Amino acid sequence: MQKRTEGPRRYRTLHSGWWLAAPSLLLALSRPGGIPGRSEALSAPADTTPHSEARLVSEVRSVRPGSTFTVALAIDLDEGWHTYWRNPGDSGTPAILEWSLPAGYHAGPVQWPSPERIPTPPLMSYAHTGRLMLLTDIAVPPDARPGTSARLGLSAEFLVCREICLPAEVTRTLDVPVTADGGTPDPARADAFAATRARLPMESSAWQASAIPTPAGYDLVVHPPRGWDERSASFYFFVDDATALEHAVPQAPAWRDGSLHLALTRSAYNTDPGALDGVLERTDGGGFDEAGTRAALALAVPVQKAAATPAASHQALAIVLVFAFAGGLLLNLMPCVFPVLSLKILGFVHHAGGEARRTRLHGVAFAAGVILSFLVLATTLLAVRAAGAEVGWGFQLQSPAVVAALCVLLFVIGLGFAGVVEPGASLTRLAGVGGSDPRYRGSFLTGVLAAVVATPCTAPFMGVAVGAALVRPSAEALGIFGMLGMGMAVPYVVLSSWPGLLRRVPRPGAWMETLKQALAFPMFAVSAWLVWVFGLQTGMDGAGALLACLVLVGFAAWAVGRWPAGTSTRRALVTSRAVASLALVAAGAAAWHGVRSEPAAASVSEVTAGAWRPFEEGLVEAQRRMGRPVFVDFTAAWCISCQVNERLVLSDAAVLDAFRARGVVLVKADWTRREPDITRALESFGRSGVPLYVLYPPDPAAEPKLLPAMLTTGIVLDALDAMGASGSSLADAGRSNGGL
Amino acid sequence: MTTLRSFAWVPLAAGTMLIATPSSVARTEPGRAGPEIGQAAPAFTLPDTYGKEHALEQYSGKWVVLEWLNYDCPYVRKHYSSGNIPGQQKKWTDQGVIWLAVVSSAPGKQGYFEPAAMDARSAKEGSRATAVLLDPDGTVGHLYDARTTPHMFVIDPQGVLRYMGGIDDVPSARVGDLQRATQLVDQALTELFAGKPVSVTTSRPYGCSVKYES
Repeated sequence: MQKRTEGPRRYRTLHSGWWLAAPSLLLALSRPGGIPGRSEALSAPADTTPHSEARLVSEVRSVRPGSTFTVALAIDLDEGWHTYWRNPGDSGTPAILEWSLPAGYHAGPVQWPSPERIPTPPLMSYAHTGRLMLLTDIAVPPDARPGTSARLGLSAEFLVCREICLPAEVTRTLDVPVTADGGTPDPARADAFAATRARLPMESSAWQASAIPTPAGYDLVVHPPRGWDERSASFYFFVDDATALEHAVPQAPAWRDGSLHLALTRSAYNTDPGALDGVLERTDGGGFDEAGTRAALALAVPVQKAAATPAASHQALAIVLVFAFAGGLLLNLMPCVFPVLSLKILGFVHHAGGEARRTRLHGVAFAAGVILSFLVLATTLLAVRAAGAEVGWGFQLQSPAVVAALCVLLFVIGLGFAGVVEPGASLTRLAGVGGSDPRYRGSFLTGVLAAVVATPCTAPFMGVAVGAALVRPSAEALGIFGMLGMGMAVPYVVLSSWPGLLRRVPRPGAWMETLKQALAFPMFAVSAWLVWVFGLQTGMDGAGALLACLVLVGFAAWAVGRWPAGTSTRRALVTSRAVASLALVAAGAAAWHGVRSEPAAASVSEVTAGAWRPFEEGLVEAQRRMGRPVFVDFTAAWCISCQVNERLVLSDAAVLDAFRARGVVLVKADWTRREPDITRALESFGRSGVPLYVLYPPDPAAEPKLLPAMLTTGIVLDALDAMGASGSSLADAGRSNGGL
Repeated sequence: MTTLRSFAWVPLAAGTMLIATPSSVARTEPGRAGPEIGQAAPAFTLPDTYGKEHALEQYSGKWVVLEWLNYDCPYVRKHYSSGNIPGQQKKWTDQGVIWLAVVSSAPGKQGYFEPAAMDARSAKEGSRATAVLLDPDGTVGHLYDARTTPHMFVIDPQGVLRYMGGIDDVPSARVGDLQRATQLVDQALTELFAGKPVSVTTSRPYGCSVKYES
């Protein structure tokens, strides 16, 4: 053990006769000490600091009026003995420091260095061994008179433990001269103070963390700053709250999706704290700073409220599943489902003349297709999540290849409706499915298609539920997606099961052909929108290539439809099919070229033109520190709800005036190309999709307000007014609107 | 069409399965062993300092308090030297409560005494517990996930755990802190005897670690 000879020049030790005695008794038993470096004298039987010694030392020789200086309670512990950290772990208590200072002097909080883990299975202690310096900043009043000296009084209690615990109680005083030019560090102590400061948790806003409730406790997610490529998994998290966690359970640190995850186990005495602040320590010898000397990092860890606590997890899961089901029902009304809905209506019309049971079976086949697709999509999402890519729900439309494929598919369906080719045949052929009962399979495939096209709509509607699904165990996530699918499919099952409702559908007739042809245009419209999305993703070249692809596909479809099998001559058939095949190969090449195109830098920034600034990590915090409120629009080109809100509400003159009048900084977080920064920001709100609208009051401590997914000018103006009025406690209102 | 008709139940069956699966996963999630409030307290049988066996089930129909004990722990000393715990022991055993102090210190560790020495120490400390039970191998301590001395449990006449945690809500070894502390075991028993719900059912136990055999 280190025995440094750096005692203060002049100090006094006060010993109590018995550790339980009243403090007044202590003063009576005081005796002078004061030989620097004298440690052996303190191990007498009546010693109040068993197996340890404690001194009060100052970093500076003298202090200047109006300045702040640092003092330390230096505790030297015998080999094998420890004293506790601010969270002692499963037993023990931390040191308690009580200051008595001259008038006008103020003591700050104790600055705790990061502790050590001392396991005593099944328990765990967080403690210090060897030399512990508990630093405290003392503020000197501006009117302190040079030439006088300040007497700092400290009474401290701490436990000294090995196998057993012994209480220590000390009272120390320190006289510090006040001089006009004071504040010079005492060179004899510089090393000790510097060594202690290196072990204080580093404060850094570049590291962000949150805790997501899980059945066993919490998933602590730590987001490193941009550019952090260290993937060592040697970390340990010391929580401040002594009641929240099982300290002895290993935390299994691991990197996933560019974030560090630690599994924290809930203690039986957990009272559902709103935050799990603490200290993250690197245990591989590295540091969080550039020099690699700061191994401990202070972490503010809000506990996310989106997911359930284990105690109520069954109930909460049931609620999430009900929401998922309701969300699925609502999906039928969303714009991007509409074309498929109309496609399905055609199917109903077609089957209404047939047997009731067969009609119902079509509905059931459709339902099975929807549900199965949702489950397959969820499985894919989980697989991709496991593989480590940073994706969110809606990820299909973030991939240009998927956008192009959907665009071509809808275009071909549109051609079918328009009468260029036979729709049933082309749908079946596109999916590569033949077979004895194509109509049931057709219904099934329509269900699949409906689910795929619905994807971008689930994000705005199901933000909370999908966010919860992504952070929940895989089985629960699958359950949520399954319920989404069931909700979406139920109206079809109901409609097909109730012949009475079906009878209200008009009888088949010539109008059907008209309706079918008219329905081609919603298909073309969605196809055109997808070209636009594709253009945002891949630039003008990409969009051009996709349009060329569509022309070639259209040509191939025409060639096939103009010379149908059965009525054409053999030569015409062979020639038309050969030409169509060539056209399709060319179309594929064009699409491939398009997918590989990169957007010109300008095309993305156009989305964030005008008064809106593009999202950057740290921007919101920086603006709020300057006292400015911030509004963040999390959006994507493929998100129709986002476009509607932006055009109808966020571009509204009254709304823009209100933003301007209050000096709100407008930030657009464009998630079209799934930027990892934005994914992380969404996650911090428990979301995994857009839109999300967040209004941050200027006070950095105030809760940001979440606005609902469907905005109106009234909602935005009310939120701005409310922020002006109080600037707090609005988050609840936002949540209740923002869910379903 | 029989096979096709049965197909109609697939979505429903799939949905039921999906709902059932996650909940069963949550139930089997490995948590820490230990008793839970509102659940049956784990059964045990331990000898007291006279060699007499005490089984929890023999006290069915009575209120039982379990207190983890180590007389040499400063926190335990706080509550015995001040008379806080002996006073509560007397108050509640007078009303028919069975108060069992359990010593899980391993032989050679702090707080372990041979039965006769333990009796002498209990008399000196003024203990009014119904019995001091000896758990030198820590079996019952681990069964209850007892962490500290003191660590308290209140069990109702049906054998259901109603309170667990600290003796009071101010974690310190200072007698002076008793004045501002709420005595949580006493509060729980008072509320339970009055037929009221327990306002604090769990609190963090504080004290010395239980000196289990390592």
